[in-house]
Amino acid sequence: MAERPLSPHLSVYRMYRYSVLTSVSNRLSGIVLSVGLIVLVYWLMAVAGGALAYAHALAILSSGIFKIIYLVLLAAFSYHLLAGIRHLVWDTGRGMERAQSQRSAWLIGVLSLLLFAGLAWWMLCRAGGAP
Amino acid sequence: MADFRLPANSRIRKGVTHKAPSGARELRTFRIYRFDPSSGENPSVDTFELDVGECGPMVLDALIRIKDAVDSSLTFRRSCREGICGSCAMNIDGVNRLACTTSMHDLGKEIRIYPLPHMPVVKDLVPDLTHFYAQYASVKPWLVAQTPPPPDGERLQSKAEQEKIDRPAACILCACCSTACPSYWWNSDRYLGPAALLAAYRWIIDSRDEATGERLDALEDPFKLYRCHTIMNCTDVCPKDLNPAKAIAEIKKMLVERQS
Repeated sequence: MAERPLSPHLSVYRMYRYSVLTSVSNRLSGIVLSVGLIVLVYWLMAVAGGALAYAHALAILSSGIFKIIYLVLLAAFSYHLLAGIRHLVWDTGRGMERAQSQRSAWLIGVLSLLLFAGLAWWMLCRAGGAP
Repeated sequence: MADFRLPANSRIRKGVTHKAPSGARELRTFRIYRFDPSSGENPSVDTFELDVGECGPMVLDALIRIKDAVDSSLTFRRSCREGICGSCAMNIDGVNRLACTTSMHDLGKEIRIYPLPHMPVVKDLVPDLTHFYAQYASVKPWLVAQTPPPPDGERLQSKAEQEKIDRPAACILCACCSTACPSYWWNSDRYLGPAALLAAYRWIIDSRDEATGERLDALEDPFKLYRCHTIMNCTDVCPKDLNPAKAIAEIKKMLVERQS
């Protein structure tokens, strides 16, 4: 007998479920943050490299394209932080009923948007602006 | 490892369309996964137009109607038609559920029906559950006790003790939860999956069971238990409103607590 086929999974499973969406976004934002560490490492290397190297790095890191990268990183950070807290609560066995986790999915969605808006405002208008 | 693509023998080819006879009152379109092991061909998705005014309101009613009136070769499991046997678990419109308790009124005009995800397919909507059952058996889903039962009756429980196992013991082993779990998709060779772990939990917390330590020992394994990453698809889909994700979290807690 021929080998049995494998039933379709990712291609048929509904992606717009609170459980799927929050899990996928948590992983995605984690990957984005890990890759974003390269920027931090570059900055640290520039700091260690002396005044000239730092001045050079500063020019690059304050360019417009890096502002967009920072915004992406802030968005990933906002979501990943709150999703992580949600996982910590789950690890205590609390908030795991279906209705509760549906509510907390909405909660971390809204809160992470607010956190992101706040951080983006701080970065663009305060920290990144004129001294 | 995570295999995102289907193997070559599992990719879906175009299927046939069965048009509804004219004069249908309440037309719905069903796109149903078909696989015939004797044909030697890859699986396909056939389209059935059906007048659902001629059958009952549940998805299972429509499947039975199609088998009776359109294509008698359509193969699926069903028995009790009231959500207690767990036979007709399948992926309906992207979510694992029981065909018998899923009302067509809650779905669109077009209904997609696939077998439970990431399982070997025996025929059409019938997945091979051998491995799933073996995993269930591996958690020893029976009472283990050295103490003999009282000579004049059963082993009694308090009401509170019974309430603890009331929900977990209501599992019908339909496999909706395990086959909704991406961790189970990629690691079912070693990860037990939500259904088996819920069963393990049901016996761990049973006040009459005396093998709690051995049961926890057996689960303390990076794969059997800890491949659960709390994605929550299991609890999301359970047709009996049970909570395998919470059961797994409680087992993890017990493993930590007994270390101190």
